[in-house]
Amino acid sequence: MRDHNADTRSLFLRLVDGGRISFTPGQFISVSLTLDGDTRVRPYTIASSPYDTDAIEICFNQVPGGVGVRYLFERKVGDELQFTGPFGAFTMDRAPERECVFIAEGTAIAPIRPMIRRALDAGTRPALSLLYAAPDSSHLLYREEIERWSKEGVDFVPVLAGAAELYDRLIAEVQRRWIDADSDRTRHFYVCGVGKGVLRLRDLLRGAGYERRAVHYEQW
Amino acid sequence: MAKIRVIFESGDPERVIEFNPADAPFHHDGQPGSILDVLLGNHVHLEHACGGNCACTTCHVIVKSGFNKLSESSEQEEDLLDKAPGLTPTSRLACQAVIDDPDAELVVVIPRYTINQISEGVAKPEP
Repeated sequence: MRDHNADTRSLFLRLVDGGRISFTPGQFISVSLTLDGDTRVRPYTIASSPYDTDAIEICFNQVPGGVGVRYLFERKVGDELQFTGPFGAFTMDRAPERECVFIAEGTAIAPIRPMIRRALDAGTRPALSLLYAAPDSSHLLYREEIERWSKEGVDFVPVLAGAAELYDRLIAEVQRRWIDADSDRTRHFYVCGVGKGVLRLRDLLRGAGYERRAVHYEQW
Repeated sequence: MAKIRVIFESGDPERVIEFNPADAPFHHDGQPGSILDVLLGNHVHLEHACGGNCACTTCHVIVKSGFNKLSESSEQEEDLLDKAPGLTPTSRLACQAVIDDPDAELVVVIPRYTINQISEGVAKPEP
């Protein structure tokens, strides 16, 4: 268990039967929650890497009315969680061959983190950029790790912006850096976040001439 | 009343659900009034690993009849369907396909592999 800040926590989960969870960077598990006698499933992206030990990490933050995260915040070390998975099509199945731009906000860094680690593990790797937004620096998660990535050559672009202007700022950065700056349209993009802003970024990139299948996204 | 006939490739017995789209379940996962919402509200199990948020393909269904009675699919749904195993021209994600027409009659097949790809586990948080 790790508290990133006042409202963001990671749980490290180990299978009760001692096995390992095999997954692809970007995938999530689907946790069964029993609340008021009603069983619901809620997805939580695996923030750790397949290269890690046999525990997997899920990362989540408090949201108004979020019954799933409330349930998870109440879990204690040693409690049992029922889940299925892994699932999800927002994945990086193999080390990238083209320049990659990763775009995330807040806890949506979770699927991006194992993707970047996979990309960094490749022998010969293309240019990698991370455009990462949060309302304040305490919500830019995994900062020490990101600093290490920077030293390994990842171009890290932090954006601090409140919810109302967060996607406007991301869109402006994308427009300036990867649309107006050159005519290269061979890059791959991996975008993860909450709300319709993710779809605005998708439309911007595809509209600018990037291949549909090169613009990967997951909207929560 | 609208009607959905649900066929399970797994061999489970068919189900027929009648409902009024104007007030059909609404309180379950997926878009309000979607196939997923209606099925779950009528105690028909359909996988929806992402909670009905259009972020996976586990609620993939094949619409055998009544396809044009459903809401149009979004680009996001189409992007995901591209990755669904066993895709057909009348595939939809049940969480996104909304039934508005009170006279709609649908036949929906739940593919076998939707169930087969699920693996279950129990995990404990560690310090």
